[in-house]
Amino acid sequence: MKDNLVKLKSFQEDALASILAILSAFFVCGLMLAFIGHNPFAAYGALFRGAFGNTHKIAETLVKTIPILLMALGTSIAFKCKIWNIGGNGQYTFGAITSIAVGLYLDLPPIILLPITFIAAVLGGLLIGGFVGVLKAKLNANEVITTLMLDYIMLYILSYMVNGPMMDPEGFGFPQTPILPEGLRLMTVIPGTRLHFGIVIAVVMMVLTIYFWKSKLGFRIRLVGEDQDVALYSGIHVPKHLIMTMMISAGFAALAGWVEVFGLHHRLQENLAGNLGSIAFVVALLGRLNPIGIGIGALFFAALSVGGASMQRYEGVPYSLVGIIQGLVIIFVISKVVYERKKEKTIG
Amino acid sequence: MGSILSEGFFISLLAGTIRISIPILFAALGEIYTQRSGILNLGIEGIMIIGALSGFVGTFFTGSLLVGLLSAMFFGFLYSLIMGFLSITIKANQVIAGTALSILGASLASFLYRVIFGVRKLPPTIKTFSDLDLGFLSRIPVLGPILFRHNIMVYLALALVLVTWFVLEKTTFGLKVKAVGEYPRAADSKGVHVNLIRYICVSIGGVYAGLGGAFLSIGFMNTYMDHMIAGRGFIAVAVVIFSRWNPYRALTAALIFGGANALQMRLQSIGVEIPNQLLLSLPYILTILVLVGVSKKAEFPAAFTIPYSREEK
Repeated sequence: MKDNLVKLKSFQEDALASILAILSAFFVCGLMLAFIGHNPFAAYGALFRGAFGNTHKIAETLVKTIPILLMALGTSIAFKCKIWNIGGNGQYTFGAITSIAVGLYLDLPPIILLPITFIAAVLGGLLIGGFVGVLKAKLNANEVITTLMLDYIMLYILSYMVNGPMMDPEGFGFPQTPILPEGLRLMTVIPGTRLHFGIVIAVVMMVLTIYFWKSKLGFRIRLVGEDQDVALYSGIHVPKHLIMTMMISAGFAALAGWVEVFGLHHRLQENLAGNLGSIAFVVALLGRLNPIGIGIGALFFAALSVGGASMQRYEGVPYSLVGIIQGLVIIFVISKVVYERKKEKTIG
Repeated sequence: MGSILSEGFFISLLAGTIRISIPILFAALGEIYTQRSGILNLGIEGIMIIGALSGFVGTFFTGSLLVGLLSAMFFGFLYSLIMGFLSITIKANQVIAGTALSILGASLASFLYRVIFGVRKLPPTIKTFSDLDLGFLSRIPVLGPILFRHNIMVYLALALVLVTWFVLEKTTFGLKVKAVGEYPRAADSKGVHVNLIRYICVSIGGVYAGLGGAFLSIGFMNTYMDHMIAGRGFIAVAVVIFSRWNPYRALTAALIFGGANALQMRLQSIGVEIPNQLLLSLPYILTILVLVGVSKKAEFPAAFTIPYSREEK
């Protein structure tokens, strides 16, 4: 009982810190807007209406939430283990490529093929995550650099695929693959919008992540992240857990790739991942690596990117303001975390 | 296929390789100081775009390329102080802080550009650095056009290779930098101000990255574009690892990255059918391989990415 109270209190404090970080970022950006002669309230109003103004806009915001949520969950699992997987984009892209290759070239009835494409994406993620994990655990190669390099390598592999072997033969030379047959596309959840079944998958994965942290494996991964020596003394095989964590983390990103290709794009195009990787990074931190926090953060950042476009259209505020808010949010979140640590030390 | 072997192709390929390598080289040399002092600055991608913008704005409004260069250096320095503050003073995680600065830099530059210049049909341009005429050197056949017909910034970058090596290997400051990166506690006990040295190294990294960004906007092209850095800051981080913190090897590594890029552009322009994407990804694959080699021998600075505080052990 007491334990639960402590947990609740720290959850409240985390949430408060994140909200403060967001408010500070909005405040700083509001000052910037006022300084250059925009009305910040009008701009933020346009942003809010652009994200939640009607059913269609809410659906678009939710569509954008799906990949952010999945990738941020994956990022958070790695971060909990102090593995700095910043290559979500590469893992997303690889999942998209492996699954669409299976979907386009395997001749099976859709009802059987769709689950196989899902498995192909996840296997792709596990593979690339395992590669990074083994390099880190066995050869001590810094995962920041390897995942970053893999981002570029995957970007070029994708570009090669859609310009070469996987290019749509009837696509007039556009760099894209043939479109997926109807039967292989995820169903639409709200008719008349682009919101697809991926939202259900993303929410289920969020709930599963909550239970994952309560599982034995989740506990051990957290312990490895907190203190490798203690983990070692408690008989945990540290390298094995580093590799597994990296595999799970990349698996989530690859799953995000699958969901977006089969639910939204229905084909591969160049630079499919865009800036999802960096948004997922921000969201994982903003959500303080807590699955529910990440869910809220993902919705918030999806709303920012969808609403930001409206803000540009109706208020003439450059869309790049959204990126400034993102960057500031991280800076304020880490400053707050450090402030708390200092406070604890002076008391203790 | 005959055109591949022609002299003109060869010359334009090598001269292009040098030009494409320069922004990466600037940023990588600065990052060598930063990493040697124990800090991984992933924010140089963001610093470079700030440098590109401030270099362009400075030149545009004064008509002086020198003012442009100085403003790129100044704003690169200023922006890098945020990294210094986050990673040194408040001891935040460097990967997170650097990523934040890269995201922030790209958006901030794009935002400010729109505020300063508004929306225009044609982008504003400036007169860029012109190529030098080094007398008889520039007229040596083959070598002249490859090596001696570049603008002043190219030679500045090459000179900084020597300067960086000299400062790190031959001066007391260089010794302090390495000490702070390897054994901050020992350095501290010998009276070296660990955090000050780290601040200086992050700032040098900021100034160099600012120059690298400015090379793109006022040395290579004559305008500013939002996506003009295109990952070169991250490539510079890779180059530093690739070169194992040695300025000469950084030059080689930057040339390899630049060469792969120049080669695919020129092969494409003469219509050779090779998958240029695979060529482009080669340097990244090489970086992973080198990283594995470097990491096994544990050649990283011992205090890499670890903040220093006197109280904690």
